[in-house]
Amino acid sequence: MLKAEYKVKGGKLIKVQLRKKDDRIDFIKITGDFFMHPEELIEDLEKTLIGCSLSETEITETIKGFIRRHKVSLLGVAPEDFAKCIIKAGGNNG
Amino acid sequence: MVEKWRLLDTGLRDAFYNMALDEAIAIARSKKIVPNTLRFFRWEPSAVSIGYFQSMEEEVDIEACNRLGIDYVRRRTGGGAVYHDRDGELTYSLIINEDHPLISRDFQKTYETLCSGIVRGLGILGVPAEFKPINDIVVGGRKISGNAQTRSMNVVHQHGTILRDVNPTLMFTVLKVPSEKIRDKMIKSVKERVTSIKNYLKREVSFEELKNALIRGFEEAFNIKLAPGKVTDFEEQTAIKLKMEKYSTREWNFKR
Repeated sequence: MLKAEYKVKGGKLIKVQLRKKDDRIDFIKITGDFFMHPEELIEDLEKTLIGCSLSETEITETIKGFIRRHKVSLLGVAPEDFAKCIIKAGGNNG
Repeated sequence: MVEKWRLLDTGLRDAFYNMALDEAIAIARSKKIVPNTLRFFRWEPSAVSIGYFQSMEEEVDIEACNRLGIDYVRRRTGGGAVYHDRDGELTYSLIINEDHPLISRDFQKTYETLCSGIVRGLGILGVPAEFKPINDIVVGGRKISGNAQTRSMNVVHQHGTILRDVNPTLMFTVLKVPSEKIRDKMIKSVKERVTSIKNYLKREVSFEELKNALIRGFEEAFNIKLAPGKVTDFEEQTAIKLKMEKYSTREWNFKR
């Protein structure tokens, strides 16, 4: 399992656990001390990211799209921060 | 006419009941069968709560908790892991209908508004506290209160802690540190970043004195009257059910 942590400046901490297959996300778990509303959508967000290629832009856009569609609010983190942490995990070749 | 809210003081209860009752009150509020509510509570045994999105295994030293008889529970709110000391900490919850004038669509703004009651209450005690975004209250730059909020069913639920006294060493016995080597460093850093009413005032402030100051603080800040009330049968039954089926289960506590 690939892992990374990313502390948002002036914000919260994101932790990502990741498995990749052909440079695409095969499994992902996002944990941390951030705020996301409604909370229970985190698992749907993770599902949405499966199959996404490990490109910062693609991941950011996927998360932004999800947030728009589901009227999600984030506090202490932004879609770009999640993407940075995911890319960081994806680069930690294990 | 000053708005009347309910004041609950549920005293010392276990972590699972405490979290279950918060949700039960939110459900009751959403059904409009109870008024807006301020609840005070404490934890017996002492407990660790983690944020909704955190991993129990990663944040909490389960073995140390089991050894020390400390409970661990996942909250329905986001945010970080907190050690709730039986004798050091007072916890509060606010349960308010979402269309209330105190509630903004902006979460950050709502934190500041709801925390203003605590800031004012601490001020009454002589502690010059300030709100610090995102969700903290600080005195002299050091954290004295942490807060977390969620919304569902058209109800806003914010809970948080107020440190009457603090024990960073115990805090890091139950919370995981990245490595043993930096445990002492982290304890030292917490000592510098966190304070308590006792640390600041150099005197013991009883739970009664603290609660009375906070009641006045909330009343003045929100322009409300807090009337002591009781947990309704509906809330109690719902809390017992939620404790059994959700907050005390491994499925919930270890779900992330």
